[in-house]
Amino acid sequence: MSSPANESVDIGPVEIRLPPDPALSRVLRLAASGMASMGGFTVDQIEDIKVTVSEVLLALIEQGGGAFIEVRFTIAEGSFEVLGRTKVDAFDAGHPDLELCRTVLTETADSHGIDHVDQHAHIWATVGRASPG
Amino acid sequence: MTGSDQNDSMNVVLDAHGVLVVHGDIDIAGGPVLEAAIEALAADQPVVIDLADVFFIDSSGLRRLLGASRRARLHGAEVTLRNVGAEVARLLQITATTDQFTIESTRASS
Repeated sequence: MSSPANESVDIGPVEIRLPPDPALSRVLRLAASGMASMGGFTVDQIEDIKVTVSEVLLALIEQGGGAFIEVRFTIAEGSFEVLGRTKVDAFDAGHPDLELCRTVLTETADSHGIDHVDQHAHIWATVGRASPG
Repeated sequence: MTGSDQNDSMNVVLDAHGVLVVHGDIDIAGGPVLEAAIEALAADQPVVIDLADVFFIDSSGLRRLLGASRRARLHGAEVTLRNVGAEVARLLQITATTDQFTIESTRASS
């Protein structure tokens, strides 16, 4: 199958603000996969991006405080970056439910981070693109 | 008895053979639907889940499957996964949890 995977296309940032509604996980994945397709990522990479985005959102829903969630997608220099944040007074970055999330992100993303800064939980991850062959 | 649980993005049907047939994504929205369907079964009964129509799973969905496995094992039973697709197989492999289930069959690539 031909793919534009080797063409570098920068897109975004695209910012989405959504309530912490689990049903919107699918919507966010669709947005991310569409953007990744436009950006020339391969089918396998798009699958990784979908899982990565889902992990970011579910962690913010499950560990967040019920506030709106802000998600930003950026494609730049061959990488897809997702950054999610939500306001929450107390955030346990070591919560057991996050362990499985971290394990998955370790495999689906090239890099990721989870932290709590200024009363906001932040989760970010990047999925890279193979170098032009 | 047969029955079904569902939300907008997935549903689970208990077929005439006692198999839970899942259609849709096992994510933070679909996971609770699957969990409810599993918990409706007798705890000491083997659980067979057909995943032929599952093309997405994340860690929240996997946690529901692992919970079902723990519950079954506590009662001397087990959870069998049927028609496991590449997406589910990969998540099981990533998290080193494949051995928590009996994998009866894999879904042929389309």
